[in-house]
Amino acid sequence: MTRREMLALCRNGFGGVALMGLMGSMPFGQVLSQERPVADPNPLAPRVPHRVPQARSVIFLYMDGGVSQVDSFDPKPRLTREHGQNPYDKFAVDATQFDNIGTILKSPWDFKRYGESGIEVSDLFPHIGSCADDLAVIRSMVADFPEHTNANYFLHTGIGIQGRPSMGAWVNYGLGSENQDLPGYVVLDGGLIPPGGLDNFNSGFLPASYQGSIFRAGDLPLANIEPLEATSEIQRQKIALMNRTDERLLGRIGHADQVESAISNYELAFRMQASVPELTDLSGETEATKKLYGMDSDDPHTRGYAAQCLLARRLVERGVRFIELTCPRVEADRWDQHSNLIDGHERNAHAVDQPIAGLLKDLKARGLFEETLVIWAGEFGRTPFAQGTNGRDHNPSAFSIWLAGAGIRGGTVYGATDEYGYRAIENITTIHDLHATMLHLLGIEHERLTYRFSGRDIRLTDVGGTVIDAILV
Amino acid sequence: MRLVLPITIRGSRVLAVLGVFVVLALIFVLGPFSTSDAGYDLPDKVDYNYHIRPILSNACYVCHGPDASTREADLRLDTREHAVARREEGGRAIVPGSASRSLLIQRITAEDPDERMPPAAVNKVLSPREVALLSRWIEQGAEYKKHWSLLPSVHAEVPPGPPEASAIDRFILARLDARGLTPAPPASKEALIRRASYVLTGLPPSPEVVQAFVEDDAPDAYEKQIDRLLASPRFGERWARHWMDLVRYAESKGHEFDFTIDGAWHYRDYLIRAFNADVPYDQVVTEHLAGDLLDAPRRHPEEGFNESAIGTAFFGMGEGKHSPVDVRIDEAERIDNIIDVTTKTFQAMTVACARCHDHKFDPIPTTDYYALYSIFESARFAPTPLLSAHTTAQLDSIKTLRAELRRRLGEGWSRQLEGTPVQTVFRKVGNQPPLSPPGQEGNVDRTSLAESLADTTIASRILGDFREGRFDGWFAHGPAFGERPVMGLPVVDRRRGRIDSLAAGVASSRRWSTGVPGALRSPTFIIEHDSIDVVAAGYKSVIRIIIDNFQLIRFPIHGGLDQEVESPDLTTYQFDVGMWKGRKAYIELLVGTYDKKQYITDNHLLVRNDSSYIEAAYAVAYTGEPPDLTTPARSPRDPTNAVLKQAVDAWAAGRADAGQVALLNDALRRGRLDASLDAVAPGLAHIEAVKERLRDMPYFVGMIDGDAVNSPVFERGNYKMLTGDPVPHRFLTALDPEGTPFTASASGRLDLARAITDPANPLTARVMVNRLWHHAFGRGLVETVDNFGAQGALPTHPTLLDYLALRFVEQGWSVKAMLREMVRSHTFRQSTQASVGADEVDPQNHLWHHYPVRRLEAEAIRDGILAVSGRLDTTMYGKPVPIHLTEFMKGRGRPAASGPLDGARRRSLYVAVRRNFLSPMMLAFDMPIPFSAFGKRNSSNVPAQSLTMLNDPFVAEQAAVWADTLVTMRHLDAEGKIEYIYRRALSRQPTDEETANALQFIRAEARRLELDPETALDDPRPWAVYCHVVLNLKEFIYLV
Repeated sequence: MTRREMLALCRNGFGGVALMGLMGSMPFGQVLSQERPVADPNPLAPRVPHRVPQARSVIFLYMDGGVSQVDSFDPKPRLTREHGQNPYDKFAVDATQFDNIGTILKSPWDFKRYGESGIEVSDLFPHIGSCADDLAVIRSMVADFPEHTNANYFLHTGIGIQGRPSMGAWVNYGLGSENQDLPGYVVLDGGLIPPGGLDNFNSGFLPASYQGSIFRAGDLPLANIEPLEATSEIQRQKIALMNRTDERLLGRIGHADQVESAISNYELAFRMQASVPELTDLSGETEATKKLYGMDSDDPHTRGYAAQCLLARRLVERGVRFIELTCPRVEADRWDQHSNLIDGHERNAHAVDQPIAGLLKDLKARGLFEETLVIWAGEFGRTPFAQGTNGRDHNPSAFSIWLAGAGIRGGTVYGATDEYGYRAIENITTIHDLHATMLHLLGIEHERLTYRFSGRDIRLTDVGGTVIDAILV
Repeated sequence: MRLVLPITIRGSRVLAVLGVFVVLALIFVLGPFSTSDAGYDLPDKVDYNYHIRPILSNACYVCHGPDASTREADLRLDTREHAVARREEGGRAIVPGSASRSLLIQRITAEDPDERMPPAAVNKVLSPREVALLSRWIEQGAEYKKHWSLLPSVHAEVPPGPPEASAIDRFILARLDARGLTPAPPASKEALIRRASYVLTGLPPSPEVVQAFVEDDAPDAYEKQIDRLLASPRFGERWARHWMDLVRYAESKGHEFDFTIDGAWHYRDYLIRAFNADVPYDQVVTEHLAGDLLDAPRRHPEEGFNESAIGTAFFGMGEGKHSPVDVRIDEAERIDNIIDVTTKTFQAMTVACARCHDHKFDPIPTTDYYALYSIFESARFAPTPLLSAHTTAQLDSIKTLRAELRRRLGEGWSRQLEGTPVQTVFRKVGNQPPLSPPGQEGNVDRTSLAESLADTTIASRILGDFREGRFDGWFAHGPAFGERPVMGLPVVDRRRGRIDSLAAGVASSRRWSTGVPGALRSPTFIIEHDSIDVVAAGYKSVIRIIIDNFQLIRFPIHGGLDQEVESPDLTTYQFDVGMWKGRKAYIELLVGTYDKKQYITDNHLLVRNDSSYIEAAYAVAYTGEPPDLTTPARSPRDPTNAVLKQAVDAWAAGRADAGQVALLNDALRRGRLDASLDAVAPGLAHIEAVKERLRDMPYFVGMIDGDAVNSPVFERGNYKMLTGDPVPHRFLTALDPEGTPFTASASGRLDLARAITDPANPLTARVMVNRLWHHAFGRGLVETVDNFGAQGALPTHPTLLDYLALRFVEQGWSVKAMLREMVRSHTFRQSTQASVGADEVDPQNHLWHHYPVRRLEAEAIRDGILAVSGRLDTTMYGKPVPIHLTEFMKGRGRPAASGPLDGARRRSLYVAVRRNFLSPMMLAFDMPIPFSAFGKRNSSNVPAQSLTMLNDPFVAEQAAVWADTLVTMRHLDAEGKIEYIYRRALSRQPTDEETANALQFIRAEARRLELDPETALDDPRPWAVYCHVVLNLKEFIYLV
């Protein structure tokens, strides 16, 4: 059953539970709590969610290094008033990564109100500001770790250590994929792999079927995707001989699920060799579309990120479940401005601002916005006081993220920090809450998406997570 | 009404939402247990372990189990005592003998959904059979038992069977018989030798071996092959890699910059040697946990270095965090990982679950977790040199020469004294090093270390004072520091060839020579002062303050915790430790320095050169002004010749005390003793010559003991919320209910090793034989090989498991003997094709009615490709081959240079395992990410696997080099070559059809390449394309 058929059914008054029965298929929580999942020839076959989903796909715009909340979506006039003063006179100061605590540092950028909602966005993001009425900004995020790698693992996998399944892997494990010619979890590598490395995108203890596939910009987007043969006909001949021999093997050994799966796996691989280049070929896009994303920008990093955002839309169109974009490698570090805040944040913002706004607008124009959840987040925030004189250190106690698209109430500001933007104080929101909300929108109850490992039924949300109802439609 | 009910249809779980009547009808019609009148087969005697605990554990324990923090209604069902107790509101959950009066049964069968257990919210539904089982169990008296794996193994009679059937086969046959099944016929000889070769060595058999085996009609032909494979050096490589999955083996620390783990590969080599030498398993376990603490360690047969200590390197294979903001949290994470890996690997218990709360399913309270925590908190990571017998002999010869020099000098001085009158000139002593002779207190309030730690009011505290010739409780490690500080080490003026002076008492790493590896570490203390001063001298060596066992000392936060020593004179090195007050710490004086380039891989390695040394006089902690620890310079009494002679004799024997050294220095300065070294010049030159020949002493990071540290329970895993008293070092209470404290070693690691290797431990042998079975047969007798707890699987053949476990111990814990028995069995030798009907009765093959089709592991696939292409380099051991980096492998810590595409043609276990740059091919074929113990790999099916085999340049390259070799085999015609290809890659002859298909394909390829038909088949190119197809055959990567 396709999603559309299912949605049609839902509109006709069937509840989610009845739906599962009609589908005659296994309710998800059961299948998912097996230590050894029932052998399924295709682990990416679409599966039935717990509830009627609002989102079909997720685009995760990962802001590597930690965007400063007080310089982006959480204006703090008090910082301006008390600029240059000693933070120790104002509040309890936590230990920081660099232990080099300077004075209160005002934001170098002005904030403007945008749209009917009047959400305040700094001058770093004028394009994203123009989409303010589509955003639900959460100003009260907290993370568990002040160090990049742990915080990245935590954001990506719900646990701050190496080796756990990434959220994209969880989503595909839970829902399968609608496109059998492409991987269900695609990471568009914009140039920067986050600290912690590729394990941010891995499947951990879940089967390798669910691990993220890294797509690079350029001619060879995916490892080993290019056939070695001069023509696809030669490869076809090789596969034909291989299949003939493999079929004989099956005839000899009889029923062997895994061998049969391995044979059909070659078919998928063969199709991917065609579907991936087709996917990454942007020549069919109109000039207007390309311009919308900023592919005509003078800034090469804007152009690069624009292409990645456009690719994200094309992946959504093809039913890919989870897409993550990593940051471009600008002429400063990632969003990790321990010094030279102005230069670093401006370069990073300039690279991503227009492409992201273009993506949101393009999704809307094509009717994809309502079924795509867009998440913009880094691993933590930054200190309202300086590191040294002109940087900001890591701050896990407060940061801002935003969500847009499927099921999200646009024009919302949720949660608040103290007057310095140092600590979240109202509607404190955890990474687990973000994951729970994301899964909820995909039709998954986060407490029922489990996999038995180490004798425990492990969840993406560990032992926490509450759906953030206030930002939902 | 609609209900979700699980139904078992032919063993595969299917769920459907159907009217309840339909469900019941289905159970009657299709259920496998349709013989009894209840509609499902119930055992005559219901067993708590095999029938009841799985139900309670899965459906009830979260709220009514061992963990008090989530317990509902004050009800426990995991112990009989609680379950049968009268409840406050009346009634009893379980009334033994009466299901109907038991509240448990009433509640699980209640009509009212609000009454019914388990509550709808927990999403667990009991099946009618489960309800019936619980009822019958209660009717039969509700007998509780300890969890099966915690009960001792029981000697079972080997079931009767045909005379040729081995014990293993008889256990298997008995179960098959009971279900009316027969085992599969024997596999073909070709399939069998291929299977045995891959299982035991991870490599395919050569065509010659296959042929010889096929042609060998001797009754013991197979046994001979097994013995050959077990004796092959490739065996150790294969089984070392299995073990490496358990101990999360890696050669870098991951995290932000992926720093190298020093010498990790020595541990890999240690494993290979241990498996090849069939070191008894209990010895291997002991060496892992406490190899550094053994009185008689195992030594490398040729090199003579201590093998046993290398086992402890597995502790340090975890992640290492760059610049943690809170080192105590970092320590807790590291120890948690050690507990996780240690308890899973050796005991198949998930003790790490008890970090924040009592284990929800197993009898493991948090106090057990913190008992183990305290053990590993007491241990210290230490760079440990590998001292070969040769090097030790060289060092010994230097020691002897040194002693000889002293004796010679002493003799000369004695003679000098005999002929000199007493001088009476008093002279002021100049800039003598600070000195505190025995019995004379400095102006610091000297108390013992223990006393001084107890009193927090003192403004300063001596942490160690070596000037009196004692280590003051510090721990020396490695050969450098010897057993005590040195008194009167000659400080040589090399230029003038004279003794400048005799050094005061210092703990010195150059007591015999510079460049000797070693460390001196203080007792563990709590930081209470703002500063620590260490008065030290040395060259290319380092003083480190190790806080909460944190080793990766680097910029930005921790940069101040180490200082390089670069001064020949005793100098005060001051550490500002104000921000670490309240933390536990120790001071480390280490020969060598850490090379710490920023952001470059391979950094943070300990480097040492021939001139490295460190020595120290004392260390003191204080707040405010540093205390004056020097003693007022005394004008020496004018000693008589006899007194001076006594001092000379003591010095020559290496026994001089501080006062005597002062006398000798005074005498040297005044010329009463000759400072010339001429008399001993040849000896000095000899020492230099030996030093020259000293070979490099490589090292690995192992564990050693410091002081015992005992931690209380961290509430909810948070060290800032400590509850209760510190937990003593002891074993799991489930296995030692007495909780006997460990006393044999400071950390308790030696005791822990003894508790685990005790033959009475019900887990150790079972867990290991089950691992061996898993690798030999593709699935363990207990399928969850790393979890023998309540949430793990039950053994399919409990009596066989016990039989094997007991036999394993009887046979001296010999891994090879156990494997030999397994692979000799018919159960191993049977075909992969089940007998007719067997799949209907037992579709999961739980009873072993055939050998399963298995996909090869990642390493076996890659190694197999190299073996088949003829390029495999079987060189053993050594530094890892750098990982080949593709454009997709990016990020911080990326190695500066990529390794070769073909991994230098070495076996996969020699290719670098860098946490943040793992091999994509290995990952695609399910090599586990090294973060926890993985006794069982996934066997997934992903496009990346097909894409690797189809398009990866490595595979294509090997196909091409294979073809290059083939065309040189001129004695074979095309058909002969195809036959050879099959024998080499698939260990069998091609069928006529396969040969015909191959020829047709190769000819077509030659035509496409427009080759001259006459010579086309001498061209490697069409062959390369064909070989590539063969490597892509399923038969190549599956054991069929």
